[in-house]
Amino acid sequence: MSWMLIQRHLNKLRWFILSVIFGMLILIPFLHLYQTYEAAHAYDLLSPMEKTISDSMEWLTSPFIKDPETELNQLKGTTWSGTLFGLKLSDPLAVVGQVAAGKMIYLPFLLTALIPILLSIIFGRIFCGWICPATLLYELNDNLAAWLRRAGLPVSRHKFDQRLKYLVLVVGIIISMLTSTIAFAAMYPPAILGREIYYAIALSGFGAGMVFFILTLLFDLMVTRRGFCRYVCPGGALYSLLGRFRIFRIKRDVAQCNDCAKCNVVCQFGLDPLRDDFSQECNNCTACIAVCPTDALSFTINIKDQAFQGPGHLGHLHRKHQDKGE
Amino acid sequence: MKRRTFLQAIAGTGLSSLLAENSLAARNQPSMRFLRPPGSLSEDDFLSRCIRCGKCGETCPNRCIKYFDLENGLSSMDTPYITPREQACILCMKCGDVCPTGAIQPLEREMYTILKNVKMGKAIVNRDLCLSFQGKTCGVCYRACPLQDVAIRTGRLEQPHVLKDCVGCGLCERSCIQIPQAIRIIPDYDRTPV
Repeated sequence: MSWMLIQRHLNKLRWFILSVIFGMLILIPFLHLYQTYEAAHAYDLLSPMEKTISDSMEWLTSPFIKDPETELNQLKGTTWSGTLFGLKLSDPLAVVGQVAAGKMIYLPFLLTALIPILLSIIFGRIFCGWICPATLLYELNDNLAAWLRRAGLPVSRHKFDQRLKYLVLVVGIIISMLTSTIAFAAMYPPAILGREIYYAIALSGFGAGMVFFILTLLFDLMVTRRGFCRYVCPGGALYSLLGRFRIFRIKRDVAQCNDCAKCNVVCQFGLDPLRDDFSQECNNCTACIAVCPTDALSFTINIKDQAFQGPGHLGHLHRKHQDKGE
Repeated sequence: MKRRTFLQAIAGTGLSSLLAENSLAARNQPSMRFLRPPGSLSEDDFLSRCIRCGKCGETCPNRCIKYFDLENGLSSMDTPYITPREQACILCMKCGDVCPTGAIQPLEREMYTILKNVKMGKAIVNRDLCLSFQGKTCGVCYRACPLQDVAIRTGRLEQPHVLKDCVGCGLCERSCIQIPQAIRIIPDYDRTPV
């Protein structure tokens, strides 16, 4: 029962992790600025604004490190490819794109994607739900769409084929091979977002990538719910494929389900937990577990999804069915 | 969509883009004067290796590494570059250490390694602009150079003479007191050290 209690609060933990990662993406450019100020040994020459940055970053880091110039190099980059306390990690999509574009395998780079690949094989699209910095904004964006819908605006109502994103993945690989450049870097929101936040803070300002990202936000808001993640994102496609036979799955306990359909409403990916249909698209966001009033949904260890188990035993459909039988 | 239609669509897209390959052959022709970070591979290899993660710029202690937007074409969007007149490379070699894909090769910060592996470009002196060649002793570029007497030496009246070992870091161009600068780096996009 206590495990169930934890699961019901996993969604909050997820939001906390997403916010921490987004915060890190904002913090790391400031840390870099602080490093450059330290490297220049010219505190007196900084402008008041730069002095504020330098002071606050010093306040933040001085309890943990002595030499910011070298020790802060342990924390660099974005979720696309970064150094997390000395551990180099890369997005599997970056490796796929790089192999396609370079037509060769660079082993040190391949190894940096090993941990994310293993995690995806075990947990499925866990990157999409728990790590991706764009997810935070897309989910907030979806809340905005919900408010607009409540206000009576016909927003974000279309549906497409979820397999479209696999086509995007294949076309992206082909374009990468033909042009010998990594096409995914320009169309993958977490990569764009991490980069653009750095540009905005440490360099001249947002670039063309931000325009693309805002267009995806508008697409989600106006056309279809979480549309980019569900229908276009090549990274999502890759993670879905990797997590096709994932070990951890959310499963519906038919004896406890009362057919309230709250899980279907809350699922931003448009999946169908009510009919046991999670498929490889589920990003383990656990929103359905959190919303379920009867604790019928929970994580289980299973390689395959359950086939549809029929209406929940606490629901009126099942009772009607039983009455007829008797 | 049926599975068959879907697979046909994938195959069709692949074929048609293969046919279009020839039209893409004239790519990667740099139209601007820019330097890549030290230890970068040749331009084509660099573009195929770089994943645009931005870590080189985040590590650069001199903040000389900037990123292309669309001004140099789509293929080099978000790739790192250096404009030496604005901020030049100090050859600290930290960007190579941090590059995950080897687009910027990891190199030791040691003179012979740098001379052997780094070729961002080569400085040339415009004698019509250079103060020393006008009889006004200057020598700023020589003093800014991290490889004095290896990459650059001075003659009579501190007149700069660039030697063949110049790696093209751009510190001379950054330091030149003339406007416009009398010494500038001609980028070497093949980046083959002599």
